[in-house]
Amino acid sequence: MREPEVWTLGRLLAEDLGPTVVWATPSVAARTGASLPHSVLDPQAALPDATRTLIAVGGGTLMDAAKIFRAESRPDLRLIAIPSVWGSGAEASPVAVAQDGLRKRIRLGDQYVPDVRVRWPELADSLSDRGIRRACGDAWSHALEAFLSPLADAPLRRAIAALIGRMRELPIGRDARWFDVSVDACRVQAASSVGLTHGIAHTLEGPLRAEQADFGWGHAALCATFLWPVMSLNLRLSEGTARKFEEEGLDLSAVLARTRLVFDEDGYDRAVGPLATRWREVLRDPCTRTNGVLVRPGALEHFVGKAFAA
Amino acid sequence: MSNREKLKNLVLDVFLLDESEFRFDLRREDIGTWDSLGTVSLAVGIQDVFGHHLSPAEATSLASVADIVAILRARGVDFPDA
Repeated sequence: MREPEVWTLGRLLAEDLGPTVVWATPSVAARTGASLPHSVLDPQAALPDATRTLIAVGGGTLMDAAKIFRAESRPDLRLIAIPSVWGSGAEASPVAVAQDGLRKRIRLGDQYVPDVRVRWPELADSLSDRGIRRACGDAWSHALEAFLSPLADAPLRRAIAALIGRMRELPIGRDARWFDVSVDACRVQAASSVGLTHGIAHTLEGPLRAEQADFGWGHAALCATFLWPVMSLNLRLSEGTARKFEEEGLDLSAVLARTRLVFDEDGYDRAVGPLATRWREVLRDPCTRTNGVLVRPGALEHFVGKAFAA
Repeated sequence: MSNREKLKNLVLDVFLLDESEFRFDLRREDIGTWDSLGTVSLAVGIQDVFGHHLSPAEATSLASVADIVAILRARGVDFPDA
C-alpha cells in the first residue's frame, strides 16, 4: 500500500508547490485562508487548468471528495491532505467513500492515497466536546471492527491488538496523538474489513442528514453512536468475540468502557427509528456482511429494545 | 432444533432468502446474494452455529447447500435426513 509523505505545517509553507488551490471545510476555512498563501476555492467550483497542487483541509468527507476528484478527474495533481479532525484516517488511506444519492459507494486503490499528509493538530482546537467524542468513536470503530473482522488473519489481528493497546492509553478527549492513531486504525480496516457499525453508518448517513439536518449527522457521529450497541450484540451472539480479545491479552471490559464513553444516547434515540425502517438495507450492506459475527434479521430487536443498556 | 433446521435458518439469514425460496438442492447460482461477501458471511455463520472454522479455500469451494452439508458431515456434524 502506498504511504503519503508526512510534513509539518512549516515544511508545507516552505515548499514550492506551483499553482495551488485549497479546498477547506467551512469550520476551518477562515483559519486556513489566513495561514496558507493560496486561494481557498469552493470544491464545487471548477479548478483552474494551471493548478498543480490541491490542498484539502477538513474532515473525512471533504478529504474523500478530493481523493476521488484527483484520482478520477485530475490524476496529474499533487494532493496534500490536512485533517482538521482525527478519526477517519482519510488523509492516508486508500479508501474513499462518496455519497451516491442516499447510499455510500466505496472505492479502494492506491490512486486514492494522497501524496502528502500534513500535521496541523491546532485545527482541532475548535472542536466541541461532542465532536471530539465522535472523532474518537470513529477511530475506535475502525480498530474494533477490523480486529473482529473474519478477513483479519492472525498476524494482522495481533497488530491490531497492539494498536488497541495504544488507543487505550489515549483519553476520549483532545489529544494530538489521535491523528496518527486514526491513520493506523484506518490502515488496518483497509487491510481487513469493517462490520455492522459501518453498515449502519453507511445506510443511515444520507437519510439522517436529510431528515434531521439540525443534528449534524455524519459518518463519525453514527459510528460513535452505534459502536457500543454493536459490540454488545457481537458479544451476545458469539462467545468467539470475547475469546478473540482474550487470546490477544486485551482487557475487554476496558475496551467496552471506551465504546460507552463515545456513545450518544440522544443521537441513538433519534436514529433507532430510521434504523428499524432501513434494517433490510443494513443487512445487505457490504460492511454488515463482513461483520465479525453473523447479523441475522432478528438482531434488530437488540437495537429497538436497547438490550445493550440492560 | 435439528442440524437440518439450523442449516436452513442459517442459509435463510445469510443470503436473506424467504422461507419459500429455500431448498436443500439450492446451488450458488440460484442465490443472487451468494457472492464473495456472501461466502464470508456464510463462513462466519457456520462458525457461529456449528462451531467449525472454515479456511478461506474451504469457504470459497462451497457451491451448493449440499456442499455445506458435506463439509459439516466431514467434521462430524450429523445430518441424518439431509
